[in-house]
Amino acid sequence: MSVTRSIIAACAATFFFWIVVHQVSSLWLDVALRPDVRAALERSLDDQKKLRTLDAAHRDDYRRQFESNERLLHHLDVIRMNREQMLRRFEIALVALFAIVAAVIVATMSARHRRAQARERRDYLDRVSVLQENARRHAHEMKGPITAARLELERGELQSVAEELEVLTRMSRQQASFAAIATPVLRKVSLGVMLEEFCATFANAWPGVSLQCGAGDAVVCADRDMLRQVLVNLCSNSALAMNGSGSIAFSIARRSGKTALDVNDTGGGIPESLRPRVFDPYVTTRKAGEGTGLGLAISRKIMIDHGGDLQLAATSSAGTTFRLIFGESECS
Amino acid sequence: MVLLIRALFVAAIAAKQPTFVAQSDRVVAVILPASLLSEPDVQRQLNSGLTITFILRSQWGGGALAAAARIEIRYDLWDEVWLVRRIEFDGKETRDRLASRDSLDNWWSTPARIGATTSDRVTLNVTLTALPFSAAEGEDTRQWIAKSGGVTAGSGSPLITALIGTTLNAKPIHAWKWRTEIAFR
Repeated sequence: MSVTRSIIAACAATFFFWIVVHQVSSLWLDVALRPDVRAALERSLDDQKKLRTLDAAHRDDYRRQFESNERLLHHLDVIRMNREQMLRRFEIALVALFAIVAAVIVATMSARHRRAQARERRDYLDRVSVLQENARRHAHEMKGPITAARLELERGELQSVAEELEVLTRMSRQQASFAAIATPVLRKVSLGVMLEEFCATFANAWPGVSLQCGAGDAVVCADRDMLRQVLVNLCSNSALAMNGSGSIAFSIARRSGKTALDVNDTGGGIPESLRPRVFDPYVTTRKAGEGTGLGLAISRKIMIDHGGDLQLAATSSAGTTFRLIFGESECS
Repeated sequence: MVLLIRALFVAAIAAKQPTFVAQSDRVVAVILPASLLSEPDVQRQLNSGLTITFILRSQWGGGALAAAARIEIRYDLWDEVWLVRRIEFDGKETRDRLASRDSLDNWWSTPARIGATTSDRVTLNVTLTALPFSAAEGEDTRQWIAKSGGVTAGSGSPLITALIGTTLNAKPIHAWKWRTEIAFR
C-alpha cells in the first residue's frame, strides 16, 4: 500500500467516523436538556415555594430542596447555552483520537507491508543464490569427470573413461536419492538393539574411527532402514571431520518427554559460519567431487518424516553432537 | 401618517439610548434606559435565576480602553427579590436587594460612573455587553459535569474537565454600542 493510499484510507475512515459521531454525539446531551426535564424542575421549584407557606415548620427543608433543584436547573441552563460548543469540542476530540489511531494503524500496516515485501525479495534472492551455488557446484563436479573422460578417450583408455562415467553415475544417484526420499514405514524398534547391530555391522566401515554403543535403550517407532541411513550419513560426516582418527559415541536418553539419540564425535567441530545452514542442501565443507552436501539435508528430512527432528545439539573444537529426536508417531 | 411613523421610530430609538452625564471631577456617568432590560433575550435571562452580568467598557476618542464598570443582577427565585451589584470604574461597589421589577428598573436607571478624563471635551465610545451567567456559576457547572464523569470526589475527571468543562464560557447574549461627546464646563 502506497503512502498516498494509506493517507487517503485514514482520511476516509476518519471522515466516516466523524459522520457517525456527528449523528450520535448530541444524543447524550439532548437527553439532559429535554424541555420536559426543565419543566419538571421548574414545577418542583414552584411546589417547594408553595409548601413553605403550607408547612412553615419545614420551611428550611423546602428551601434546601429548592436550592438543590435550582442549582441543577442552572447547570442545565449553562450547558444549554454552551451546547454547540461542547458538542463541537467533543466531536473534535473523538475524531482527532480516531484519526491518530487510524494513522498509527495505517502506518503500522504500511510498514509491515513494506517489511514483508523486503523480506520476500530477500528470500527470493537467497533462493536464487542457493540455486546459483548449486548450479556452480554441479557444473564443477561434473566438469572434472567429463574432462578426465575426454582426455582418457583421446588416449584410448576406455577403462578410465568407464571409471569417470561411474563417478557421474554415483553423483546422479545421490541427486536422485535426495529427490525421492521415501515415506518411512514405522515399526517398533529397540534403539539399543539396533545400535548394537549397527556398531557390529559398521565397526570397520570408517578406518581409524571407533563406534561406542550401549548407553541406554528405548523403544521407538521408526523405519529401521531409514534410521540406519541417517546414522550412516552422520558417521560418514564425523569420520571425515576426524580425519580418520577418533570415536563416535551413541547415547539414548529422554529429553523434554521425548526419546533422543545423541551421536557425538571427537572431530574439530563445525565452523560457526556454517552452523545456521548446516542442514541446508548442498552445504558442505568438502571439496568439489568429494561430497554433494546432501547427507544432513536427507537425514533431517527423514527424521522430520518420523514426526521428530534432527538437531545440531553442540559443536566445538572438542567435537560435535547431533541429536535425533523421535516423535510420538504411532507404529503401523 | 408618515410623520407619526417617523415620530414613533425616533421615539423607539431614543428609548434605547442611554444618557451620558458629565459629573464633577470630569467623571462621566451613564444612565441606562430600562428598555434594555426588556430585550427578549435579556428578559429571559433575568428570569432564569442565573446572574446576568453587564460589562460597560469606555474608550476616549477611539483610543485604548479607558475604563470599565460592571453591573450584576440576579433574581432570587426563593425570596422573589432582585439582588443587584454595581462596581464603578474606580472600584466603588454598591449592592442592593430590590423587591420589585419597578425597583429594579429605577435602580438600573440611576447614573453609573464609567470613567474619568482630564480633557474638557471628549468623544466617548461605550460598549455594553450582557453575559448570561457569572464565572462562579460557570465553574460550578464545570465541576458538576466533571463529577458526572465517574469521579465523585476531588476536582473530577481530568478528561471530562479538559474535553467539556473548559468549553463553558459565558458568551455575550447581547451587546450595545454608543458614541457620544461630553463637554465639561
